[in-house]
Amino acid sequence: MTPKDLPHLPPSEPAFAGFRGTAAPCLTLTVNGREHSVVADPTDRLSLVLRDCLGLAGLKQGCLEGECGACTVLVDGEPVNSCLILVFQVQGRSITTVEGLEAPDGTLSPLQKAFVEHGAVQCGYCTPGMVMAAQGLLNRNPSPDEREIRHALGGNLCRCTGFQGIVDAILSQAAQ
Amino acid sequence: MSVGVRTTSPRDLTDLASLTCGYSGPIAFIAGGTDLIIKQSGMDWPGLVVDLTRLSEIGAIRVSDTMAEIGAATSLTAVAAHPVLNRELPVLTQAAAQVGSVQIRNRATIGGNLASAVPAGDLLPVLKCLDCRVEIRRRDGSVQRKGFDELVVGQAKTSLANGDLIARIAIPLRHGPNRASAFAKIGLREVLTIARLNLAAVADFDREARRINDIRLVAGAIGPVPLRLDTVETVLRGRVVGQQLADDALQALVAVVDNTIRGRRSRPYKRRAIAGLGLDLLQGLFGRAFEPPHEMRFPA
Ligand SMILES: Cc1cc2nc3c(=O)[nH]c(=O)nc-3n(C[C@H](O)[C@H](O)[C@H](O)COP(=O)(O)OP(=O)(O)OC[C@H]3O[C@@H](n4cnc5c(N)ncnc54)[C@H](O)[C@@H]3O)c2cc1C
Ligand code: FES
Ligand code: FES
Repeated sequence: MTPKDLPHLPPSEPAFAGFRGTAAPCLTLTVNGREHSVVADPTDRLSLVLRDCLGLAGLKQGCLEGECGACTVLVDGEPVNSCLILVFQVQGRSITTVEGLEAPDGTLSPLQKAFVEHGAVQCGYCTPGMVMAAQGLLNRNPSPDEREIRHALGGNLCRCTGFQGIVDAILSQAAQ
Repeated sequence: MSVGVRTTSPRDLTDLASLTCGYSGPIAFIAGGTDLIIKQSGMDWPGLVVDLTRLSEIGAIRVSDTMAEIGAATSLTAVAAHPVLNRELPVLTQAAAQVGSVQIRNRATIGGNLASAVPAGDLLPVLKCLDCRVEIRRRDGSVQRKGFDELVVGQAKTSLANGDLIARIAIPLRHGPNRASAFAKIGLREVLTIARLNLAAVADFDREARRINDIRLVAGAIGPVPLRLDTVETVLRGRVVGQQLADDALQALVAVVDNTIRGRRSRPYKRRAIAGLGLDLLQGLFGRAFEPPHEMRFPA
């Protein structure tokens, strides 16, 4: 499926930021520790540019309204909905996507492994957003309890797992 | 594709004024973007889009002995976590902490909440209740100050002209052992919920005598703009906290719903909701002085 076929983008939302003629300026983004020059409309959503210009297709564009959390990334270490940020607003900020958690050789981070081991992944659509929301929580609070975890995941929806596996995975990463 | 749209992230207000001063076309300010990006979806952006998140002058909280000054571009996460605001103005930090989700609060700003002025905005009844003064910078760099009612004039409607920037929100502080404040909200679930109804209160409460010397009460999401509940305040003022007071307060709150949204379909729900919320609010305000056996006796 090409990005243009994605069913969830409203028809007037440009689907593919990469092919935008000559008028689109060059922006500099710092993603997963590396600087990238991208040609994109500055008023494009960050989620669109990360997926379609940089190929970081882990994050999903689910609702585009801040409700589902599938587009969650970290900006300067804090979880945010990348669908509700215009790309020009975060030039020079440090952006981390789910791809940025794994080691250079592709080894999953301990948190990512815990998701796999605790059955926290079924269809996987929500997973990148869940993992980033969890990483954001652990950055701030290395030993959250179950209540704090559930509260921190309030902005992330999962239609498959019933959430318990996800909560267990994150609990397993809480410092003793 | 937004042809001819300029985007900019000014670092200080002087930068901003030099951009806007000679420019007469439409401007869109964007802070957290949590309201605006959804509203603009599929539409063209105006000629100049100004990001407010780099303006450190309007992105911080300053508290003096008499005043809390909150920069309009302060995130709701920062408002909710501020230790002095937590102590002095729990009504404000409780409201900020209940907006949206972690992700939303990390971006959403207090100025954006105020400027959107949607009836369900959680900060609106709070800022009205706290008698805030809003500092506005005009395109030419001149400064104006407005009270809440001069600023928020209708449903999603403010008296701001295009290009007017909310810079700071000033809230007078009252100290002393008697001060109390609280916020209560009801929606469909605990997080990520737009308020169906919310209540903000500040009080002067004599904890020893358990007497309410004074109180201000504002409801949100019940009409186009937040509503000061004078009739309920009158019932509460000068009274000693107890079951009788709870009964009378809830009766007065339900009467407010009956009078404000008489013909509306949401009325039966909001009658019950406001009574439950009222109880939460009294508990939040008066703490141990208001512990059970106080119960909700639902007024007929
Ligand atoms: C999923 C979701 C859940 C939400 N839940 C809640 C909730 O529970 N309670 C609630 O109250 N709100 C909620 N909201 C709404 C929203 O998050 C808030 O209203 C937020 O505070 C808006 O701030 P912002 O910085 O994102 O505004 P933006 O979207 O950046 O701006 C909103 C409007 O205000 C203008 N503006 C912004 N800053 C200024 C300024 N300094 N001066 C002049 N104009 C300005 C913009 O031009 C725009 O018109 C929710 C939104 C989403 C998407
Ligand atoms: S796609 Fe961003 S929150 Fe749903
Ligand atoms: S695993 Fe399918 S939506 Fe969460």
